[in-house]
Order: sequence, then C-alpha cells, then structure tokens
Amino acid sequence: MAATPVEEIQDYQRKLSASLNTLRGAAGVEFGCSEKDAVYSEGKLTLYRYRARAERRNFPPVLIVYALVNRPYMMDLQPDRSVIRRLLDLGIDVYLIDWGYPDGADRFVELNDYINGYIDRCVTQILTAHALPSVNLLGVCQGGAFSLCYTALHPQRVRNLITMVTPVDFHTPENLLAKWVRELDVDALVDAYGVVPGDVLNAAYVSLMPFRLLQQKYVNLLDVAEDQTQMDNFVRMEKWIFDSPDQAGAAFRQFARWFFQENRLMHGTLEIGGQRVDLRQIRQPVLNIFGKQDHLVPPSASRPLERLTGSNDYTALEMSVGHIGMYVSGRAQTELPQKILQWLETR
Amino acid sequence: MANDNPMDPAGWMATMQKAQGDLMRQWSELSTTWAGQAAPANAGPAAAAGSSQAGADVARRFMGQFEQYLGVTRSVWELLGKAASAAPEQRAQSFSDGLMALQNQFAAMFAPVMGAGAVPNPWQGLGAAFGGLPGAAAQWPFSMPGAMPGWPSQSAAPWMSWPAALGPAREQQETWQRLATLGSRYAQAQTSLATQWNQIITTALRDLGTKLTPRLQSGSMPASMKEIYDLWVETAEGAYSQAAHGAAFMSAQAELSNAMSQLRIAQRELFEEWARQFDLPTRAELNTLHQQMRQFTSALQKLGGL
Repeated sequence: MAATPVEEIQDYQRKLSASLNTLRGAAGVEFGCSEKDAVYSEGKLTLYRYRARAERRNFPPVLIVYALVNRPYMMDLQPDRSVIRRLLDLGIDVYLIDWGYPDGADRFVELNDYINGYIDRCVTQILTAHALPSVNLLGVCQGGAFSLCYTALHPQRVRNLITMVTPVDFHTPENLLAKWVRELDVDALVDAYGVVPGDVLNAAYVSLMPFRLLQQKYVNLLDVAEDQTQMDNFVRMEKWIFDSPDQAGAAFRQFARWFFQENRLMHGTLEIGGQRVDLRQIRQPVLNIFGKQDHLVPPSASRPLERLTGSNDYTALEMSVGHIGMYVSGRAQTELPQKILQWLETR
Repeated sequence: MANDNPMDPAGWMATMQKAQGDLMRQWSELSTTWAGQAAPANAGPAAAAGSSQAGADVARRFMGQFEQYLGVTRSVWELLGKAASAAPEQRAQSFSDGLMALQNQFAAMFAPVMGAGAVPNPWQGLGAAFGGLPGAAAQWPFSMPGAMPGWPSQSAAPWMSWPAALGPAREQQETWQRLATLGSRYAQAQTSLATQWNQIITTALRDLGTKLTPRLQSGSMPASMKEIYDLWVETAEGAYSQAAHGAAFMSAQAELSNAMSQLRIAQRELFEEWARQFDLPTRAELNTLHQQMRQFTSALQKLGGL
C-alpha cells in the first residue's frame, strides 16, 4: 500500500536523521587508491608512475593526460571504481600527469607551456627512462584536446593515441556549455580574476542541469542515507566534483577563445607556440572513446575526429555512459580497460 | 486523525514542524557527543559549542532541501486534491489555474538555483568567510553595490548623472561614476536573467499541468510525493534546457557574467589606487614581476639550464 504523505514525511525525516550519522562517518573518506611514485616534477606539475599490479606487457607505457579543470584522481577514485587500477591489473604500465593547483603565480602560463612545455618534458622523461622512441598517449576530456595538439605537433613521439570524452567540434547544437561561452567576454573574465576560480567553472557545470544537480541529487541521497558505503561513495564523488583547480588565466583565455568560441581545432586554424595544429599530421592509430549520454562533451563533439585525422587506423568506441560514468560506472570498469588493452596489443 | 488527511494544511504544518524540531534536537545531541569525543580534554566548552554550531548549520541546510522538496510536492498534491473534488468537466481547468498561481511561490523557492551559472559575486567568498564571525552580517558584503567598503551609501543614480568632473578630484569622481555605471549594469543584468528564470518556471508549471491533467482525469493519481517531485524536476529540467539553449537566455547569462567582470576590474583599480597611496604591493606590480620571471625562465630553458 502506498504511504500517505505524512508517512512519507516521517520516513524522510527518519532518513535525514540517519544521514547525519553516515555523513559524519564519511567526513574523512579517502580517495585515490593505487600506489604510485612521483618520477618527475616541475612547478606544480607532478608526473606519476603507477606501481605494477601484474606482469607488465611488452608495449610502451601509457601516459594519461588529464584535463586542467578537474583533478585526475577520478581515474583512480577507489578500488572498485578505478580505470587506472583495471589497466594496471591488465599489465599496462601507466603514467599520469597531475597538473596540481595553479595559483596567482601561474596566471601567465599559456597553452603553449602546457602542450609544448609540460607535456613534452613529461614525454621526454618517460622515453628516456624506457629508452623508447615513442609513448602511448591517453588524453581525457580537455586533456584529450591537448593530446591531439601534442600528437599533431610531435607525431614522432606518440606511438598510439587514445582520446577519451574529448571534444573536437565545439559548435555542435547539443553543446550547451560551448554555447554559453560564445557570448562570454573572456578577456574581461580573465582580467577580472587573473586565475579563473574553479568555483566559476563548477557554477557553469552544475547549471547545465540545475534542478537535478543542485537539488534532486541531494533529495535522492536520502535513499542511501543508512548505507555507510554508499554515503562514502557519494561524498567521494562530491569531493571530486567540487575539487576544481583554479585555471591559469592566459591558458584559460586561449582555450575558451580558440576552442570554444572560434572552434579552431575543428577548422584547422589553431596555432600553438606559433605552429599550426594540423590534425592530419596524426597518422598513428587513434582510439576515440566517448559516451552516448555525455552532457558535457556530447558525442557529436567527439565524432568528427574520424574525418579530421590523417590516420588510416581510426577506431571509435561509443559507450552507453555519461561523462562521469566513463570513469566510475560498472561498464567502464569491466569493458573499457579490456578494450584499451585489446586495441593496444594489436598495434 | 487530522494528520492522516493529506490535504489537511494543519496536519502538514504540524508534521513539518515536528520533523524539523526532531532533526535539530537529534543533531544537537549528536554534535555535542562528537565534540566531547573529538575535542582534547583541555579544549573547553568553546570547542564543543563550535562543533555544535557547525552541526546545526548542516542540519539547517538539510532542512532547506527538505522544505524545498516538501514545498513542491505539498503544493501540487493539494492542487490535485482540490481538482479531484471539482466537477469532472472543471478538473483540468481548476488544476491548470492552480498551477499557474504557484508561479511566485516556485520562483522564490528555486531562487538559489537560478543564475547558478553566472560568475559569482566577487564578494561572495569574502562574505561567506566573514559571515561566520561573531557579529558579522551573514551576507556582508554580498549585496551590491552599496556594501563595498567605501561605497557611497546613497543610491548610485546621482553619481551617474553628475556632469563631467573638473579640478584636482576629477579622476576620483570619474572612478566613482564608472563604478556606479557598472553597478547599475550589473543590477540590470540580474533583472534580465531573473526574467528568463521566471519564464522557465512558468513554462515548467504549464508543462507539469499538461503531464498531470490526463492522470487527474483518468483517476491514476501519483502514488507518492516523491513521484510528484521527480516529475517536477524532469519537467523543470526540460523547460530549462529549452530556454538555456535559446539566444535570450544565453545573452542574459553572458551579460551578467560580463557585467560582473567589468565591475570587478573597476573595483580592483580602486583598491590598487588605495594600495599605492600606502606603498603597498599591487596586482599590477606583481604581474610585472611574474612576467619578468617567465622571461627569465624561458631564457634559461633555451640555454638548457632548466
């Protein structure tokens, strides 16, 4: 029999009370689970190598280039939600660039510094350590766009390129975030802040679906109010969502204007460090992974990569997940690392 | 029993108040216990009181969600009840009219959601930090433009209408006039975005009526308050998404952010002027140093030194 409204209120109140205890229990929740070693650092950047969890495969390491706008521990959130751990379990040697938290001193850091500077020096570290000519690059979201640029500019240093939830065409009709940025006075925004606060970016992300992300999500939380494990998972995710680093102003200005407003990557008019980024220079194998339900980077933003690269070995992997589900969903844990392994092993 | 009647306003209120009171009491007891466990023996009652206060804040935020959730469901549930008791041919109209009358109530209820994507007020963080201090106004100096330290307490309009400045203080007058103009632009942008949001709420209420009216007529009412709430969220997101992709909303949102940015820049220029008068370092001075550091670093890297 359906509960009366009063019974529903009483049940809700009981769950609220229970959640106070489970929230208290989740206060010190930890995140990031796989063991890793810092092998290189420069400024706020740290290059990590994850410790092996299985015998390493006989192909070059995978370097993960994550986005600047969120923290990379989403790839290794907890033991049962870690794409990195699954890759390690499959014997893949994994490196990851942690960009750190830029501050006011980084306001003039540009995209050229990130792509031709930081990423290139991290690649050099790996190639030197392994005596290899090229590395496997796995770019995620904005880091995927950086990886495309890097590969186009330094093709000889990348053996295989994997892009995950990576936007290429920023002007597709479904891309609400890109539409909003188009009328933004980016110069004024960056001049006003110097380094653009992560809170500003978060405000934009949650406002893509404000009723769900600012209210319903927390009402639904009460359904797991008495389950400490689920509450821990929720808080861990909440931590990641709102743990957004500030953005170096100059790089933000360039990314917002060149990618979001002018769609230069798509049009072939992008220049980084004075060099044109020609995606046709990407002739190595490309695996492009994107989510069907991704509201941040819609599939339509990722698919055009196929006709833009010069690769004749292009594979698209479209998964039934959203943007965050790509990292933490059950499907991501079981299917994604295996697909990456199979793809790498045959190339 | 009155409380068993879902349409009985007194029952709702009594249940709500009891729930709120129970929750605050439970939280108070829990936080006192936790403070006792966590605080060192010599920390004294102040630490426990602080923890208790923080706990009460969490409880209040929870209750805010609770009240918002109930506010939506109660209003719609009551309307459904009223419409169901009307003559069959009048039910749809009664329900639809009732929903549209909720416009102001829902707009107020969802005010925290509205404009979430706009660039935050520069004083927001400062206001939040100071809001926790004894005696500090919770929103200081959040409200614009009158709350900025040194900001004229009277309306900005007279500053804007002053004639061109002459004499030694002309630069200062122009600075204040520019700030007043930008403050006014920001306020107008807020109004424009609020108008967009009111339209979204109106559309969402209308669409909710479209979804629920057939069920009202067929007698298959929602089984729970949560079902009504979820239907509202789905409908509201649909209305929002349609508007958010539109030119009017995008322009209003961008203008709010752009106006805020310009206002921040002008405010910083004012602060920099004060800082220079006291020979304190300014942002401009630091920027120059940062640029010089970049040039040195770049030169060293080219030499292979880094």
